[in-house]
Amino acid sequence: MTKRFGKVVACDEVDFTLRRGEIHGVLGENGAGKSTLMRVIFGLTLPDKGVMKLDGRSVRTLDPLEAGRRGIGMVHQHYSLVDNLTVWENAALGEQGRIDPAATKQRIREISEKYGLEVDPDAWVRDLPAGIRQRVEIIKCLRREPRIIILDEPTSVLTPAESEQLFDVLAEGVKSEQWAVALVSHKLDEILRAADRITVMRHGRVVERYLTVQADAPSLARAMVGRPVALRAVTAGLDAAASGAPVGKAAPTGSGEDEGAGFERAPPVLRIEGAAVKAGDGSVLLDGLSLEVRAGEIVGMVGVEGNGQTPLADVMSSMLELDEGRVEVAGRAVTTGAAGAMARAGAAVIPADRHRSGCVLGLTVAENLMLSLLDRMHNRGLLRRDAIRRNALDLVEEYGILTPGPDTPLGNLSGGNQQRVVLARALSADPKVMVAHQPTRGLDVGAIEYVGDRLRRAADDGLGVLLISSDLGEIFALADRIAVIYQGRIVGGMPRSELDMERLGLLMGGAGAAEEAA
Amino acid sequence: MIPGAPPAPGGSAGGWRGRGETALLYLLSIGVTLLISGGLVTITGNSWTQVMGALLNGAFLAPGRWGNTLVIAAPMLLVALGMVIGVKSGIFNIGQEGQLLMGAMAMAYVGTKLAGPGPLLLVGGLILGTLTGGLFAALAAVMRFRRGVPEVISTLLLVFIAFQINGFAITTDWFLRDLDPNRPSRAVTSAQLPAEAHLPVVTLFGNEFHIGLIFALAAAAAVAFLLTRTSTGFKLRLLGSSPNVAQNVGVAVARWGSAALFASGALAGFAGAVMLAGGASSSRLTSGFASNFGWQGLLVALLAQSRPLMCIPMAIVFAGLRTGSGFLAATGVDRKIVDVIQALLVLALLIPPAVQFIRDRRKAAAVAATGAPAEQGAG
Repeated sequence: MTKRFGKVVACDEVDFTLRRGEIHGVLGENGAGKSTLMRVIFGLTLPDKGVMKLDGRSVRTLDPLEAGRRGIGMVHQHYSLVDNLTVWENAALGEQGRIDPAATKQRIREISEKYGLEVDPDAWVRDLPAGIRQRVEIIKCLRREPRIIILDEPTSVLTPAESEQLFDVLAEGVKSEQWAVALVSHKLDEILRAADRITVMRHGRVVERYLTVQADAPSLARAMVGRPVALRAVTAGLDAAASGAPVGKAAPTGSGEDEGAGFERAPPVLRIEGAAVKAGDGSVLLDGLSLEVRAGEIVGMVGVEGNGQTPLADVMSSMLELDEGRVEVAGRAVTTGAAGAMARAGAAVIPADRHRSGCVLGLTVAENLMLSLLDRMHNRGLLRRDAIRRNALDLVEEYGILTPGPDTPLGNLSGGNQQRVVLARALSADPKVMVAHQPTRGLDVGAIEYVGDRLRRAADDGLGVLLISSDLGEIFALADRIAVIYQGRIVGGMPRSELDMERLGLLMGGAGAAEEAA
Repeated sequence: MIPGAPPAPGGSAGGWRGRGETALLYLLSIGVTLLISGGLVTITGNSWTQVMGALLNGAFLAPGRWGNTLVIAAPMLLVALGMVIGVKSGIFNIGQEGQLLMGAMAMAYVGTKLAGPGPLLLVGGLILGTLTGGLFAALAAVMRFRRGVPEVISTLLLVFIAFQINGFAITTDWFLRDLDPNRPSRAVTSAQLPAEAHLPVVTLFGNEFHIGLIFALAAAAAVAFLLTRTSTGFKLRLLGSSPNVAQNVGVAVARWGSAALFASGALAGFAGAVMLAGGASSSRLTSGFASNFGWQGLLVALLAQSRPLMCIPMAIVFAGLRTGSGFLAATGVDRKIVDVIQALLVLALLIPPAVQFIRDRRKAAAVAATGAPAEQGAG
């Protein structure tokens, strides 16, 4: 199959076979052509060349409805759910004829039960956290009883536990109902964990095919990127997941204890005491959260998504005002919710959703890069265009941002390069403390490696880092100390050198939900 | 399409080929508009050439007419510039019709009720008119940032309040009502602005226009400069593009948003003061004084796609339709036909940017679908 978009060859004579009763992992960096291949199978994109055979017969899926009739279902990378509808209404979208609410809800409950995908059919989708929305997507797909299931980057917003559960569901379906599953991902560990067979794509071509039993992380990574990569973030997570035991030895820098002792003496650059805030509708966002980050230390914050991570990042972005509690940056109390107060005090934030509060797609690269330096970039109100340009060129070079030029709109850059811009702008103001919320979400291996290195290096230079991530591998690879957030407060923590996976899991699940989590 | 919708990614209008295509699109859609308008005029039993001739003569060709057109264009341009500032800052002030009227009222008050040398009254009136327009718009800012009332709605509804205030002012003896028993018309109006308080008039090639035009052109240049070259302008654009990022880097949404709304209203108020001091409706405040200048200024900004300098030609086109339709009466054609032509023209001028927008979106979508680096993560 070949597909071109203008001059770009998205898929170049790709051969791909999906067998019944098998999970087929498709691995590749952003832009490798994985999604295009899947979209062609599902009929969302028409190929320029090539044939598709289903059960030995040549077919041409012209649109998703036809694909659906042939038993092909797809779970998309970006949710295709309507926020202002309930779960069952979303599931019923695309139905023809009369809709029977009771029957639809009943069917959802059956699927929920069968596959352990717990969800309330009457809940509003807008109220659901990312992980549950993914469940709704999957239920929506399973409801039509597909034989072939395509999952495009299904885990990019899931916690490790949720990912595990998803893979269990898939394994179960493959075994009992002979599904054929195509699992697209750029995460090595989950492909190795879940797939039976692996196809690696790069620049629109299939570069390697493996049976999972023959594959290992380093060779997959090499095939995917085309060069050797340092795999510490990826493999640390893998080891942890595989062994379920303390992984102190998997940590890269070894000298954890000495450093730990050093941080004890370092001054705290961020101190949060009893932070509490309620949302407009009365729900509790933060509930007496207290936390300290010292200079040169990376504190990894783990927890199931939706337990207060985003409100915390919003507070540190001056976007949310606390009802109670105080925040000190570099030893001085900072007014919460006052425009720019946190940034002025020396707190920088890499938000989880960079398009919401990290960068501005409509402004140019240079304008984005000056955002944290506004005060220095004008002369009595007149913008210093030379200084802005020089600043942009310097940062573009220093952070290896791939852009046609400083005056290109940021929206034209790839996600990885946008994230580099966010990182560059956050670090450019010489912050004392950095809150990095899911800084590598959606990035490919090379970019993940880069962001991790950069944070580590900044910490070595004395920056205090609060790394909020649902990617445990990333936390284990980077953090000196781990804090667990649950329902808006810190419920426990441990130095990385004393990492205890079981205790961590219990803390993340909350004491009461201990058994479910395990 | 919303005025000032962010330029679609890719900026495919760049390059000579793109620009040529855009120009061709404009020509094409204007051509089609002329054809349809011609058809309409013919169907209603009139001569197309006669109508066209009257329009052109009235707007530009007849002696002294283009000066007239420019005088009309000046306040429209000022209103449009206010709209541009708002749109760029993410604030949609559509109440210029009322803010303009408030500005004219302030000018009338200073000019007819206060004593002093003419030039002083003029300058004082212009300043007070500007402030009044700005403060009137700022009411919407208070509602927006204190109580979360969308400014689109509040500014619009404030227009009708402005009408009522104006009606009260010109019918109330102690306020603005003209008490002169010898006034020329029996309609209820304010007193006439004294001649010394009028804007100075420039004569060029037999055409007369007051210096309000120069103010308006200077304002266009100033707004363009403000938005692209100053840190204030950058902060406003940042606010318009991403309020969250603005808040994060220290651009307080409420303060800067209010400032944008004030500036937007101030320009409309200034436009109203300029109109009165420039001799509109014989320099008397009447019940229909604003006569759609506020609304048409919005159209100007819309068609200029919120580019300050593009507002200049667009304002002249709209002013031309106004002055041209004055001559149309002589041909016996119903003036309403001009409203239809004007509406068609607005549509025609909106089509090319809309086509461009859709094309760019398709292109972006195609690129995004490849998963090619150019658009990864933008969806």
